[in-house]
Amino acid sequence: MTIGIAFLLGAAIIVLAGRNPATAYYWMFRGAFFPSALPETLIRAAPLLLVSLGLAVAFTAKIWNIGAEGQLYIGGMLAAITGLMLKDLPAPLAMPIIFLVAGLGGAAWAFLPAFLRAKYEINEIITTLMLNYVAIYLVSYLLNNPFKDPLSQFPETQTLPEHLWAPILVPGTRLHLGVLIAFLFVPLVFLLLRRTGFGLKLEVLGANPKAAKYAGVPSALLIVQAMLVSGFLAGLAGGIEVLGVQHKMRLGISPPMSPYGFTGIAVALLGFLNPLLIALTSVFLGGVINGSMTMHRMAGIPVGMAGIIQALIIIFILASYFVEESLLQRVLRGWKR
Amino acid sequence: MISSELIQGLFYSSIAFMTPVLLVGVAEVMVERSGVLNLCVEGAMLIGAFSAFMVAYFTGSLGLAILAAGLSGLLLCLLFSFLVIVLALDQMVTGLAINLLTVGLTSYLYRACFGWYVSPVPPHIENVLQPLKIPILSDLPIVGDVLFNHVPLTYFALLFAILCWWLLFKTKLGLKIRAIGEDPQIAEYLGINVNLIRFLLLLLEGFIAGIAGSLLSIAFYNMFLDNMTQGRGYIAIALVILARWNPLLLLGGAFFFSFIDALQLRIQAIGFTAFPYQFALMMPYLFTIAVLAIAGRRVKGPASLAKPFKRVR
Repeated sequence: MTIGIAFLLGAAIIVLAGRNPATAYYWMFRGAFFPSALPETLIRAAPLLLVSLGLAVAFTAKIWNIGAEGQLYIGGMLAAITGLMLKDLPAPLAMPIIFLVAGLGGAAWAFLPAFLRAKYEINEIITTLMLNYVAIYLVSYLLNNPFKDPLSQFPETQTLPEHLWAPILVPGTRLHLGVLIAFLFVPLVFLLLRRTGFGLKLEVLGANPKAAKYAGVPSALLIVQAMLVSGFLAGLAGGIEVLGVQHKMRLGISPPMSPYGFTGIAVALLGFLNPLLIALTSVFLGGVINGSMTMHRMAGIPVGMAGIIQALIIIFILASYFVEESLLQRVLRGWKR
Repeated sequence: MISSELIQGLFYSSIAFMTPVLLVGVAEVMVERSGVLNLCVEGAMLIGAFSAFMVAYFTGSLGLAILAAGLSGLLLCLLFSFLVIVLALDQMVTGLAINLLTVGLTSYLYRACFGWYVSPVPPHIENVLQPLKIPILSDLPIVGDVLFNHVPLTYFALLFAILCWWLLFKTKLGLKIRAIGEDPQIAEYLGINVNLIRFLLLLLEGFIAGIAGSLLSIAFYNMFLDNMTQGRGYIAIALVILARWNPLLLLGGAFFFSFIDALQLRIQAIGFTAFPYQFALMMPYLFTIAVLAIAGRRVKGPASLAKPFKRVR
């Protein structure tokens, strides 16, 4: 219902710009969920999924990591560098190393804000946000100078040797191993959050920091751990994007109007921090991003539309929580009488 | 003599760049003092920059442009305040979602007006906001030009900071605002209309943030660029923490930040090959983190900050 309202408002904006919303949405849907488009939607969903699974871990403890975008860029950059360094190694040996380095890079990038929050209670929203800009400028420097492909006129690294590209799973599509890895993390994060002491402690810390303190939960350590896990997954998302889709590192690895790092925040929250719902949501939003690109190509609607529709969906879903909550309360009150 | 001109120029642009961050920061201090964390100032600045540019481009009137910027920021914060005050939604998530909306909306509308692709020479306006020379004072040697030859909004920003400080700490209304920030429930029992005051402060902030954003597109530059605020709203929020929710201390923080910003622009312009421009661009963000790490340890804000408030009758 709420998603419907978001799309209706989006339609109004398309009409205002003098376009036909029906054709626009037709292309959007076709570009998102038609069988021919589904592999591309899953490819788009994979980095989104990893980012938001990681964020779900941090958000469970109410640690607000807004820096996934920077962590993803660092991961992607390191994946490309490691790939170029290890290009003589056979893929089964090199690939796990590359993924690991990408994840660790993302985690390292998340460490500073985690440390500052854990040790000095410095607001992690601000520090992670600032580090996004720093990461992107750093990557831009590396791509323009030491790691620039001398034969390219764009700021990008050399293309990785073909044997290091993530293998294609379904012939005839671009569906690669990285997508599978991303979806494998759904049960892993689910188990981590729901079936381990770590997950329980995170939940206690998030629900009531004071109670956590009395219960002897080491909150500083937990904060750092949660941030490192979420940084690791964001970095891994960057690595997967580099090995699976781009095959090199370049500046625009995240779609500019709906950056993975920021859209991931929405996905994690819309999925109620539940890995299974997050998987569904990231496929849905991956479809919206891809669909809006098709809509852009076929119906001439600017890509900004994806951002608008996503933001509207987020706002309306948030609002619907409120409506449901107050309806529920009203029913309960009536029932008590 | 060249070096003294360089230093004068540096201080001049520090004060010029300080204006938008100062305006937004002071307004955010007021709003946070009442217990609301408004991340959508970033969006309000961006939509202000956008609407100021559009109005200036199509009407040629800079006065109308500033008004439009203020109104568009106000509308955005009206949406925000409906969501977080009436519906009591999570302030941080709502703020971020609205910012996402603004980035999409401005770049979408920009393309809807100027074509689907950005041409190498983007549309620009002929006249930008001119500085106002304050008579006599601006003739003073050395400091005259640095201090008294700015756009009117710069003087307004300084007045605004002082006015807000006075309002917050010397008036009854200021006491009410701070009381709400500490405990809205008790404030409500004491007969203060919590939601009304929060709502009015948010609208004021939206208007101010929109105007602050307009400086980017019609004073510092003469064009609109996608996402051109580049996190300035977030930096203002970081400065609020540094200034410990005090408008006058914010003056210092805002000047420090814009000094770094002006410095990095100078470094870029000189074109040190040993110091790549990307590192210059990083400086404002890195310095914000560094200062936060040193001066922002265990700073406690208003107790009810960012907590949704539901009125209990």
